[in-house]
Amino acid sequence: MSKPTHSRAESIARILPALNYRKIGLAFVVMFFFAFFISPIWTGFVTAFKTTGAVTSTTPFIPPGLDGFTLEKWSTAFDYLSRGMVNSLVMSVPSTIASVFLGSIAAYGLTLVDWNERLQFSILVLFLVGIFIPYQAVLVPLSDFWINIVGVDGLLEPLGNLPFFTARHSRLFAVTVTHVVYAIPICMLLFRGYYMSLSDELIEAAKIDGASITSIYRRIVLPLSKPMIGVVFIYQFTMIWNEFLFSLTLIGSSSSPAATVTLVLSGLGSDLTGVDFGLRMAGAFVAALPTLIIYVLFAEQFAEGLASDR
Amino acid sequence: MANLSLRDATKTFNDDGDEIVAVDNLNLEIEDGEFLVLVGPSGCGKSTTLRMVAGLETPTGGSINIDGEPIHRQTPQERDIAMVFQSYALYPHMTVYENMAFGLEESSDLPDDEIEERVHTAAEMLGITDLLDRKPGELSGGQQQRVALGRAIVRDPKVFLLDEPLANLDAKLRAEMRTELQQLQEDLGTTTIYVTHDQTEAMTMSDRIAILDGGTLQQVGTPMQCYHEPANVFVAGFIGEPSMNFFDVTLEDGVLVGDGFEYPLSEEALASVEGTTELVLGIRPENVEIGDDLSGPKEFSGVIDVIEPHGNENAVHLRFTEAATDETFTSTVDGMRHLTGGQSVGVSFPEDAIHLFDGTTGEALRNRIVEEVEQVQEIGTK
Repeated sequence: MSKPTHSRAESIARILPALNYRKIGLAFVVMFFFAFFISPIWTGFVTAFKTTGAVTSTTPFIPPGLDGFTLEKWSTAFDYLSRGMVNSLVMSVPSTIASVFLGSIAAYGLTLVDWNERLQFSILVLFLVGIFIPYQAVLVPLSDFWINIVGVDGLLEPLGNLPFFTARHSRLFAVTVTHVVYAIPICMLLFRGYYMSLSDELIEAAKIDGASITSIYRRIVLPLSKPMIGVVFIYQFTMIWNEFLFSLTLIGSSSSPAATVTLVLSGLGSDLTGVDFGLRMAGAFVAALPTLIIYVLFAEQFAEGLASDR
Repeated sequence: MANLSLRDATKTFNDDGDEIVAVDNLNLEIEDGEFLVLVGPSGCGKSTTLRMVAGLETPTGGSINIDGEPIHRQTPQERDIAMVFQSYALYPHMTVYENMAFGLEESSDLPDDEIEERVHTAAEMLGITDLLDRKPGELSGGQQQRVALGRAIVRDPKVFLLDEPLANLDAKLRAEMRTELQQLQEDLGTTTIYVTHDQTEAMTMSDRIAILDGGTLQQVGTPMQCYHEPANVFVAGFIGEPSMNFFDVTLEDGVLVGDGFEYPLSEEALASVEGTTELVLGIRPENVEIGDDLSGPKEFSGVIDVIEPHGNENAVHLRFTEAATDETFTSTVDGMRHLTGGQSVGVSFPEDAIHLFDGTTGEALRNRIVEEVEQVQEIGTK
């Protein structure tokens, strides 16, 4: 026998899932942090659609009204940044691929190949030290090395006749190589963790099957590295794309034909008349677009690489 | 087709300054086409021995030869051997076909159609033709095991090395694969070393067994030799299921005095243990006879502790009535025979069936007398 009627409070309680203060508190904390992290992105996003007048007349995180809405900032930012984006792509893609590939080879040599263990360890330590060299400490010697010792400006001069190519573009080459060198240790470390968890018996089976060191890498280790390649590729591409200091030191100014997107972005929307916030925000989103695209393309491997936890 | 020999093969590992001897001066000759089983408890050095032959470990001393040619300085790639791992170690990103073809592609210059033919022949032999397009992850344990075997067979190597290949299968499949593997090896006639910790596998599959303990070789012989004429206490206890009963005894005036029993020895038996007084008396469970009445000096009164029925036979755990400790020994009797726990019975140890071991060294001084042993051995060695 059930009671024929319920009080109003009782029936609400029956609809709601079992709530207690702990759960409610948790929900509030999650919501707070969500708002905390999303608000700057949201504010930037709505600001990018505002006219210069609307930026000053409206609250930053309120979307613009119909009269204050414009797409002009986006097209301006895109026109302005496209040159830098091409330069950045020309620099980031090869240097990411090279550092992923070299990092993986180095990790293979330090984990799955049998040779002097002490020497292996010393080399590993050198790699680790490489990760912790601060960028700022090497800036002066780095530019001295590329510009005065290597003479990178003259190095690629024979290519000067190619369309769209000016001598200044050779600086991009310097930035590319610098990124590869700086990225190898961290890539090596990421791959090393993964390779250490690969079954030794797999490699041993391949050895007994007659496979050489190189063909074990090419036919067994590299195909099995796919999830990790996804992770390292996303990570490294984002790092290199967003990097500013090396570009600034080696390329110099945002007006250079070789300027990368971060360099161009630094000069975008600020001149003697003041700061154009709408343009800057639109520029920031345009500049971040390629990393988003890469993330979507590699998301599956990324998830797999993290989930496999190896 | 090859014979393999290990001469004084030694492997020591360095563990923070401590030297650990994994394999100690191992001498083994494996004839062409022979199926040798290396057996021993875990940590006895059997896997290390196998890995030395494979080239995955470098021996610290001694030599390993195939057809008289030393191979222990060669890399695994240079030795013409194939190995099946306990974990199977199939390449997870390749199909079964690619797994089997990999070794041929890497180690030989065979043209593609020849490789294809050999893979198909091997797959047919193992009944895995319809699995060739699948990835290892889609296969059951038993199927993976077959693929791992196929990968070894297809290479047609001089020596097969099998490292506990049946350990990950369930009991029924394991028994099936045991016969199949044995048949396969016989058909191929390839020299094979098979490592296992399971004495049943060792007994049933091998031409000869090599028993290792603590890195040293205890005995090499046919299964029947190892069973009936164990070289020492370790072998006697390791081979046979349920294992041999041991009693610590002292020899006093021609009588073995143990805990709860006194066993008079014949002149002949006394001669074989001459000079040793601390002895171990061993007798296999199937030789411990259980009777109802006590007559004769080699019968003792005992009490049944527990009975484990196996269907065809019962394993009976007994105690001597006059024993000071609770230690039990085992007897196997016919499954139809009716016995109950707590029952008092007469126990007899026929003198023909007893083994006597040196109490300090463990060495066998006298083994059981089996009339058929000669005959059995001949069948065993073929």
